[in-house]
Amino acid sequence: MTERLTIDFTPAEGAVVRMIGLVERRGYFVRGLSMNEEADSASLIMEVEPRDASRRVQVVAAQLGRLVDVKQVSHSGTGTVA
Amino acid sequence: MSTAAAQPAPTNQPAPVSGARLVVEALERQGVKHVFGYPGGAIMPVYDALTGSSLKHILVRHEQAAALAADAYGRVTGKPGVCLATSGPGATNLVTGIANAFLDSVPMVAITGQVASPLMGTDAFQEVDIFGITLPIVKHSFLIRNTADIPRIFAEAFRIATSGRPGPVLIDLPKDMSVIATSPEPFELPVEEEDELDEGAIAVANAFIASAETPVLYFGGGVPIARAERALREFAKRSGIPAVATLKALGAIPTDEPNFLGMLGMHGTRAANMAIDNCDLLICVGARFDDRATGKLDSFAPRAKVIHIDGDPAEIGKLRVPEVAIAGDLSAILDSLTTKPSIAEWARQCRAQKEMWAARYDAPGAGVYAPALLKELSEAAGDKAIFTCDVGQHQMWVAQHCRFVRPQAHLTSGGLGTMGYGVPAGMGALLAEPDATVITISGDGSFMMNVQELATLRRYRLPLKIVLIDNSQLGMVRQWQELFFEENFSEIDLSDNPDFSEVAHAFGIEAFTIDHRSQVSDAIERLLGTSGPILMHVRIDPRENVWPLVPPNSSNVQMMEKGW
Repeated sequence: MTERLTIDFTPAEGAVVRMIGLVERRGYFVRGLSMNEEADSASLIMEVEPRDASRRVQVVAAQLGRLVDVKQVSHSGTGTVA
Repeated sequence: MSTAAAQPAPTNQPAPVSGARLVVEALERQGVKHVFGYPGGAIMPVYDALTGSSLKHILVRHEQAAALAADAYGRVTGKPGVCLATSGPGATNLVTGIANAFLDSVPMVAITGQVASPLMGTDAFQEVDIFGITLPIVKHSFLIRNTADIPRIFAEAFRIATSGRPGPVLIDLPKDMSVIATSPEPFELPVEEEDELDEGAIAVANAFIASAETPVLYFGGGVPIARAERALREFAKRSGIPAVATLKALGAIPTDEPNFLGMLGMHGTRAANMAIDNCDLLICVGARFDDRATGKLDSFAPRAKVIHIDGDPAEIGKLRVPEVAIAGDLSAILDSLTTKPSIAEWARQCRAQKEMWAARYDAPGAGVYAPALLKELSEAAGDKAIFTCDVGQHQMWVAQHCRFVRPQAHLTSGGLGTMGYGVPAGMGALLAEPDATVITISGDGSFMMNVQELATLRRYRLPLKIVLIDNSQLGMVRQWQELFFEENFSEIDLSDNPDFSEVAHAFGIEAFTIDHRSQVSDAIERLLGTSGPILMHVRIDPRENVWPLVPPNSSNVQMMEKGW
C-alpha cells in the first residue's frame, strides 16, 4: 500500500537527498516525488511503499521529523507528526 | 599649536580573517581544548592556523583513531569531541568513527578538508564526496560555501551535536574557503523549545505502575545521554522495581544495588532475562528494543504492558508499540512517576534469582580465567576507573564481570561494534578525565586494528593501562562457528600473532605477559601501580566461550549456560 508523506523543510544543501535516503534506508520504496520551493521554505511530497508489513509509516515520519532541516511532516492517515 | 599624525577613522568593521583562522577561533569559542587529527593537503591552512592557538592537537597515527578518540572524549565529557582530517582518504578514514558515534548517539564534530571549490566534482586529487558518503551516519552535515559562514556554521554544529539526541556533525571545508579572508557578520542561533510534559500520559503511567504486580525497569543508553542517572536511581529506589540494563547503560544504576539484576539480552544474566519474561509491566527508559537486548522480539516480555519513555520520540513505537508513550526530558518524566507498587514478594523473587544465577569464578585448571581476572581488576581499580573495550568476547566479559557506578566509566562500542575502538577510546578518555585510571580491555583481533596508536600513547605519555586478552583466535566468531556452524572453523586462527609484549616494547611501552592464574594478582598490582602506559598481555584458553548465551532468533529465556 502506498502512503503519502508531506515534508516541509528548509532548502539547505543536501536536504532533499538526506530525506529520500532516510526513507529508502528505513525500509521503503519511493514511488513518487514532487517538490515546491519558495524563498526560505520548501515542501516535498513522497509517495512511499513499505518493503515489508512490519514498517509503520508513523515511525519513518518521526525519523524524518528529527532531521535538522525538516520543519514538519504529515502523512496520509494520521496527520502531522513533527 | 601641535599637529597630530593623520589616523585612520575608527570603524566597527573587524579586520578580515582567513577561513582557517575563523575555524580555530570558532573552536576556541566553543571551549574546545583537544582536537584529534592528522594533517594533509586540503586541511593544511587549518593546521597552519592551529599554531599559536589554545587548542591542543593530538596527532594520531590513523584518522580512524582520531574519530574514535573524539567519540570517547564526547562520551566522558558530554561535549562534542572534535576530530580533524584532510580530504579523500583522510576523510574516509574517519567514517568508521563517525558511524560509531552515530550508532551510540555521541556528540562529535568532525572537520574534513576538501579540495578547492572550483575543483569539486572534477575527480581532483584526494577529492571524495565525504558530505554524501556520511549522510546516513551523521546527525547533520555542512559544506562550507562561504567563508563568512564559518563562525555561524561551527556554532550550529556544536549546538546540533549536543541538543536532543546527540550525534556526530560533519563540516566539510573546501581549501579555498579556509584561505579566503573575510569579516563575518554577527549571527544568532535558534532558541531551543522546551517540551512540555505530557501530564495525561504520566497519569496513566502512574496508574499502571500502582497496579503492577511484576513490573521491571528496563533502561538503556538514553539515560546517560540525558544525564538522567540521578532521576533513574531515585525512581528505582522509590518504586522498588527490579531493574535491568542494556550494555550501554551499565553503571546508570550501580552494579551492586540489590534490585539491579544485571544486563539483559544475548549475554545478559538469567535473572534479568527471566524477570523480563515474567513481568506484567515493562517500563522502558531510554532503550530501543535492540535485537541484542530483546532476542526474538515477539517473545520479549510477552505478557507485559509497556511504558516507553525516551528523549527521542522517533524511538517510541519503532519496534514495539507501547501502551503508554512519553517523549521528553527523562529526568522530569522519571521525577513525576511517584506511585509505588506493592511488589515486595516479586522483588524478593528477583533478588533470589540474581543470587542463584550469580556468575561463578571457580573455573577448573591453572590457566587464566578471564572473567575472574576482570572481576579482580575491576575491584582493585575502584570506582573512579574508566574501562574502554574493544569488541568480541572480552567486551562481553567486561560487561558481565566488571562493576560500574557510573555509565561514563564503561566506554564500549555498543551499536556499531567497532573492533579497534579500545585503545583510541582510552586515549580520548584520558584526555577528557586526566585524573582517572583508564584501562583498555582488548582482544588479540581488535588490538591489531589500531595497534599503531601505541605510538600516540608514547608521544603524549598517556598512562593507558591495556589488558590484552589473547586467545590467538577471533574468539567470538569461533564461538559462533562452534555452536551454530557445526564447528566449521573458518578464518578465525590468529596463532601467528606477533609477540605483543615485544610489539609494545618496540613502541617504547612497558609490557609483560602472563599465562597462569597464580600470576594474576601480582600482574594487576603492577598494571595499576605503573605511572606510564603499560600493556599486560594475558594468554587464555582459546576454547573459552562467553556464557550465558541466547542463540540467534531465540527467546531470551532459552539461554545456554556454561557447563562446569
